[in-house]
Amino acid sequence: MTKLKNQAGNLCFSLIIIGLAVMPLLMAAGVAESPLIIFLGKCVAFSIVAIGLDLIWGYTGILSLGHGLYFALGGYGMAMYLKLRATHGAITEFMHTGGLTALPAVWKPFQSLPLTVLSVLIVPAGLAYIIGYFIFKNRIKGVYFSIISQALTWAAYSVFIALSPYTNGNVGITEIGSLAGKIRGSANQGRLTLLFYVSLAILALIYATAAFLVRTKFGKLLIAIRDGENRTYFSGYRVSRYKTFIYVLSAAIAAVAGAIFVNFNGSITPSQMTIAFSVNMVIWVAIGGRGTIVGAVIGALLVNLCEYNLSSGGMIEVWQYIVGGIFCVTILFFKGGIMGLFREQIPAFLRKLKVRGGQKVES
Amino acid sequence: MKKVFAVVLAGGLSLAILLGLTGCGGSGDGGSAGGGDSVTVGLLHSLTGPMAISEKSVRDAEVLAIEEINAAGGVLGKQIKYIEEDGASEPATFATKAEKLVGQNKVATVFGCWTSSSRKAVKSIFEEYGSLLWYPVQYEGMEQSPNIIYTGAAPNQQIVPAIEYLIEQGYKKFFLLGSDYVFPRTANMIIKAQVAAAGSETVGEEYAAMDQTDFAAIIAKIEAAKPDVIVNTLNGTGNVSFFKQMSEKNYDASKYMTMSFSIAEEEVAAIGANILKDHLVSWNYYQTTDTAENTKFVAAYKAKFGAGRVTSDPAEAAYDGVYLWKAAVEKAGSFDVDKVLTAIKSGGISFQAPEGKVVINGENQHLSKPVRIGKVGSDGLINEVFATPSPVAPDPYLTTYDWAVAANIKPLE
Repeated sequence: MTKLKNQAGNLCFSLIIIGLAVMPLLMAAGVAESPLIIFLGKCVAFSIVAIGLDLIWGYTGILSLGHGLYFALGGYGMAMYLKLRATHGAITEFMHTGGLTALPAVWKPFQSLPLTVLSVLIVPAGLAYIIGYFIFKNRIKGVYFSIISQALTWAAYSVFIALSPYTNGNVGITEIGSLAGKIRGSANQGRLTLLFYVSLAILALIYATAAFLVRTKFGKLLIAIRDGENRTYFSGYRVSRYKTFIYVLSAAIAAVAGAIFVNFNGSITPSQMTIAFSVNMVIWVAIGGRGTIVGAVIGALLVNLCEYNLSSGGMIEVWQYIVGGIFCVTILFFKGGIMGLFREQIPAFLRKLKVRGGQKVES
Repeated sequence: MKKVFAVVLAGGLSLAILLGLTGCGGSGDGGSAGGGDSVTVGLLHSLTGPMAISEKSVRDAEVLAIEEINAAGGVLGKQIKYIEEDGASEPATFATKAEKLVGQNKVATVFGCWTSSSRKAVKSIFEEYGSLLWYPVQYEGMEQSPNIIYTGAAPNQQIVPAIEYLIEQGYKKFFLLGSDYVFPRTANMIIKAQVAAAGSETVGEEYAAMDQTDFAAIIAKIEAAKPDVIVNTLNGTGNVSFFKQMSEKNYDASKYMTMSFSIAEEEVAAIGANILKDHLVSWNYYQTTDTAENTKFVAAYKAKFGAGRVTSDPAEAAYDGVYLWKAAVEKAGSFDVDKVLTAIKSGGISFQAPEGKVVINGENQHLSKPVRIGKVGSDGLINEVFATPSPVAPDPYLTTYDWAVAANIKPLE
C-alpha cells in the first residue's frame, strides 16, 4: 500500500502521457482536429518548463520570476535555425529592413542543426551559470533573488527589442515551419503526429530524470537547502554549488521547452520573454502543486486548457477573472495545489469522517 | 467546520476547472461554415491585456456591421453567426486562437488583429490553412499575403501624403519620433527617403519603448534639434506621456507642430483635447467626415455602444471589411475561400463606406481609399483640413514613387 502511494505521482504521470498519446490517434480517426493537437503540443512544452521550475522552486526554494528568459532563448535558437532553413541561409527580410547586407555572425551557427541543438542548450545554460554563480555565491536568496531574476528578464527583453535588425524586435521570428516540415492542415497530419510523439517522449524523459534526481541523495539535499539553508551550510555542504547546478539544469530544461514550443507555434516573439509570461509559469506550478514534479505537469496542462476553452465565446471578457479566482483560492486555501488536495486535504477529511463514524458507533 | 468549508471550496475549484476543460464558454456550435441557414465567421481581437482598449472599438464595429447585415437579410440568404476569440494582446495566443478558428471551428472568414506582431504571427497560419483574414488597421506596408485583405491604409495612403502636405505647407526640418517596433521604424525609413528627395532635412530620429513614461531626454533632444515639425509614430501609452510632458513645458502646436499617425478620436480622448488642440493627424476617416453613410454609421455606433463612444479610422475600416466580405461572397456566389479570393482578384469589389467609396485592389488586396489630413479641435473631434481629390490607389511596396525606388525601399526578392 505504501509502495503504491509512493508511486502515485508516476502513475498519475503515466496516465497523462497515455491520455496525450491517444490524441493523435483520435485525430487520425477524425474525432479530434489538428489545431487541438498543435495546442496540446504547446502544452507539452509548457509542462516541460514547469518541471524545470518545480525543481528550483518546489524542491530548492529558489523562486525564479524570470524563467521566460531561458524559454525564449531556447525558442529563438530553434526559430533562427528554422528561419534560415526557410530562406536557405540567406539574410532575412527584417535584417534587410534593418540595414544589414550579410548574415550577422550570431546567426551563422544556426545554419546547421547540430550546432543549433548545442546552442539551444549551451547558451541558456551558460547564461544561467554566470547569473547563478554570482548570485548564489553571494548568498542572495528569497525575494531578492526573485527581484533580480525579474530585472534580468526585463533587461534581456529590452535588448531583444532594441536589436531589431538581428531579432526583428517585438514582431519576433515568424513564418517558420517545424523541424518535421509543415504540420498544419489535413495533408500534414503524419508529420504533426511524429512531432507530437517526439515532444511527448522528451517530456517523459525529462520527467523521469527529474523524478529520479529528487529521489537521490542530491534531491534530499535540495530539500534540505529549501527547508534550512544555513543548517545545510553548517553540515559542510557548499550550498551555492548545488543551487547553481540545479538552476542551470532548470534553465536548460526551460530552453528545451522553448525549442519545442517554437515547432508547434510557428513563431517566437519577445512576449515569451516577458515577466508576465514568466509569472504565468509560476502559477502553473503553484496550482498543480509544487514540490511534486507531476503537479507541475498537471498545473501546466490544466491552466492552459482552461484558458484555451474559456477565452472564447460567452466567457471572453471574464475568463481572466475565473483563472485568477482559481489561482487565489489555491494559494489561500490549498497551499499544496491540486496535488496537495489529493495528498493531504482529502485523506485528512476521510480520516475525520472515519473518526466521526467511529464515535457514533461508540455512543 | 473548517474542513467542511475546505471541501466546499475544493468542490468549487474543481467545478471551475471542469468548466474550463469542457469549454462551457459557449463557443458556439462551430459547425461547418456554410451549412444550415447560417454562416459562421470568427472575430479575433484582444479583449484583455494592454491592446484591449484599442481593439474593443474595432470588434464593436465588426459586430455592428454583422448585425446590420443580418437585419437586412444576411449574406446569400444566410444569417451571420460569429465566434469570438481573445488574443489577449499576445502574439502566441493570436496564433493558437487563429488556428482554433480556421482549423477547428472552420469559420468562413476571420476579422481580426491590430498590431503588426499579431498579424505576422497568424499570417503563415492563414496561408497554410488556405483561410481568409480581414485586417483593419493602417500598417507599415511591405507585405502582401494572398490570404489577407488589408482594409486599413498602406503607407502611401497615410504617411506619404501627410509628408507631402507638410512639405507643401513649408515645413523644412523634420524630427522623427516613434515607438520601438516595426511600424515606426519602417515608416521612418520611408519618411527619411521622402524628406531627403524633397530637399528638406531630417534633424533627429528617436525611438521610445512602447510604455515609456519619461520623455525628458527626448524632449531635450527635440529642443536642441529645433525642428519645424515632429513626425510622431508613437503608439499606445507612450503618446499620453509624451504630449502631457510637452504641454507641461508649454509647448503647443504653435511652438512644435506634430503630425501623428496613431492618434485617432479614441486617443485624443485619452490624452486630452486641450493638449492636442491644433496638432495634425493623418487618416482616411474621421468621425466628422461628411458623408451620408458616415452620419448613419456614427448614429448606429453610438446607439448600440453608448453616446460617449467615438468612431475612429480603424473601427471604420473594420466595419468596411465585413461589408466588403459580403460583397465578395455575393460576387463569388459561395462562402468557399478560394472562390471568394478569385472574386476579389477579379477586382471591382467595392463598398460605399463612411469614408467614401472603397474598392479592393485585386492585385495587392489593399483598398483604394481617400486620404485626409485632420486637425484636432478643442471638442476632441478631428476636423479635415485637406483631402485628396480622389481615392488613392494602394501601393504597399511604394513602387510607383521614384524617390522610394531610388532609396531602395523594397523587400528582398
